[in-house]
Amino acid sequence: MASVRIANVWKYYGKTVAVKDLNIDCPDGQFLSVLGPSGCGKSSTLRMLAGLEHISAGDIYFGERRVNDLPPKARDIAMVFENYALYPHKTVFENIANPLRLRGTDGATIERKVRAAAKMLEIEHLLDRKPVELSGGQKQRTAIGRAIVREPQLFLFDEPIAHLDAKLRAHMRGELKLMQRRLGTTMIYVTHDQLEAMSMADRIAVMHEGVLQQFGTPQEIYNQPVNEWVAGFVGEPPMNFLDVEVVDEDGRLCLVHPGFRVAVTAAQQALLRQRLSGREARMGIRPDEVRIATATFPGALEARVRVSEPLGGDMLVDAELAGSRLLVKTRPDFTGGMGAPCWVAFDVERWHLFEKPSGVAYF
Amino acid sequence: MSEEAPRQDLVRRRSLADAWWSLVAIAVAMLFFFPIYWAVSTSLRRPADTFTVSGVGIPWVHFTPTLDNWLLEMSQPESFRAFTNSTVISLSAVTIALLLGLPAAYALARFKFFRVPNKDITVWFLSQRVLPPVATAVPFFIAFSTLELLDTRLALIVCTATFILPFVVVIVRQTFFDLPIELEEAALVDGASYLSAFLRVAVPLAMPAIAAAALIMFAFSWNEYLFAVILTIKGAATMPVHIAGGADTRGVQFWFVAVRSLIAMIPPVLLALLAQRYIVRGLTLGAVKG
Ligand SMILES: Nc1ncnc2c1ncn2[C@@H]1O[C@H](COP(=O)(O)OP(=O)(O)OP(=O)(O)O)[C@@H](O)[C@H]1O
Ligand SMILES: [Mg+2]
Repeated sequence: MASVRIANVWKYYGKTVAVKDLNIDCPDGQFLSVLGPSGCGKSSTLRMLAGLEHISAGDIYFGERRVNDLPPKARDIAMVFENYALYPHKTVFENIANPLRLRGTDGATIERKVRAAAKMLEIEHLLDRKPVELSGGQKQRTAIGRAIVREPQLFLFDEPIAHLDAKLRAHMRGELKLMQRRLGTTMIYVTHDQLEAMSMADRIAVMHEGVLQQFGTPQEIYNQPVNEWVAGFVGEPPMNFLDVEVVDEDGRLCLVHPGFRVAVTAAQQALLRQRLSGREARMGIRPDEVRIATATFPGALEARVRVSEPLGGDMLVDAELAGSRLLVKTRPDFTGGMGAPCWVAFDVERWHLFEKPSGVAYF
Repeated sequence: MSEEAPRQDLVRRRSLADAWWSLVAIAVAMLFFFPIYWAVSTSLRRPADTFTVSGVGIPWVHFTPTLDNWLLEMSQPESFRAFTNSTVISLSAVTIALLLGLPAAYALARFKFFRVPNKDITVWFLSQRVLPPVATAVPFFIAFSTLELLDTRLALIVCTATFILPFVVVIVRQTFFDLPIELEEAALVDGASYLSAFLRVAVPLAMPAIAAAALIMFAFSWNEYLFAVILTIKGAATMPVHIAGGADTRGVQFWFVAVRSLIAMIPPVLLALLAQRYIVRGLTLGAVKG
């Protein structure tokens, strides 16, 4: 087991910068997820950790040990690749046994450990097959089996379940989390799926265009996004953003929009007083933090239903508030039809305000 | 009924087309096999019958077959020596080319060279095959003569290996290039050294291409004549030289040429059959991800 420290790491491919000045500290035994859209440098980061890619600048430490110059085999890691990378000429058993064989483990121990790993992953009956004879989920389990069989000090998973169907993915999320907790091995898990990161990780590192945006627990990332980009990337359905003006009314700060004029809370006002840089700002609110009704209620703002989408357990209402689009998640018994008037109110404790144009969060 | 009719028509037309193509295939095969058949036929005739035989020389029909030529050829020590020389030289040259060429192909596919770009190195390898071989005859002769290696197998092994090296480099480089790099990376992470990732993952997966390249190289070595003539006198003479030796001051001894050619065909045919299994098995290995 080991903690992982990434200190001021850069990665260049020729002139392309894939990772910019990355700093991440992952304590021993934690499940760290690296989350970001395609091309943000997630895989590059993981490959530098694995020793498959040269580190352009900066240092990586496993525990106290600087590993920059260690070849992959000396790093005591296990990796699951996005495309599984199973050896097509070897059986499932031999695929899983490979890390042990390469380290000269004796035959009886190999047999025992491979069977134990296969049992845990429920692929015991497939041990004699070749990878071509496996389904996507079975291949993925085999790849995980190869990673866990040796009890390494660090797991590196690169989007291991991205290619599975939705149902299997949901199942595997739970399995992987359970497996990591049971083994207690430090895990660095790369994904572009915020649901995977939120549901599995102890800590999430959100990356965008090679830059670490925010590093924190799933709750911190969700509740206190540091900027507009993180706020928009995390959460499903995505957060609503409205252009507002910050106006001082007799010492009380209000957010003003063509459709509303609402005062901020005292705590928010204190934060704003310290940092406010201009009148213009972006207000953000999550779809489930907007109250919506077909009849008016105290503090309600008048809006109009554009379209409503029943999602079974929830109803997603696409509303229009004075020319701005507003997604609202509400109960399925909401009855407002297309074009019908409706009334909305924000949970002002829960809204966010971002500086314009930098996107940095005020609160 | 009306639906059946066109279908039957189609079947009939298809089988007609098949028959037609079979005829073409047989005709082409006969064209290719005729020289071999003629060699067999010639080898079974008495020397006097070589040109006097009637018809298409079918044994027992047009002449009485005899094994005299075969027995005589087998009893000559030169004949055995030429066969051994050819076998040793070809196998050694192919082995050397594989030992040097596979790492070269791998390096060109997987590593990036900066001083001389990978593409230029590949083209340089290829360019060896563009150069007329005879241009290097004099340098090779002088080199081996200085080293006192004329008329030795070693000289021919070295010389042939240099000629066939580009085949393996160019053919197998592309195959290594097409292999998913993650397989080797997985091996590295599993605990393999770079060498063992190459030997245990890349080479087995590239086996079909390696077998094909080895076959081409063997055929090339086996048929090599120019340098065999220039660099050998007698001791290291190979089958092609021995076959050509069938032409002497008394004219061409077609019966010996026929016997020797037929003997010379055996090893490449056996090797092709052996390599075929590897090549076919490779095709069924399939992809990394399905
Ligand atoms: N070998 C390479 N050579 C050149 N550029 C590369 C190479 N690998 C990655 N890049 C570039 O570096 C950037 C980051 O790539 P990376 O593979 O780390 O992204 P990623 O976050 O893993 O994306 P994805 O979710 O699509 O896998 C991209 O712009 C990519 O084009
Ligand atoms: Mg990636």
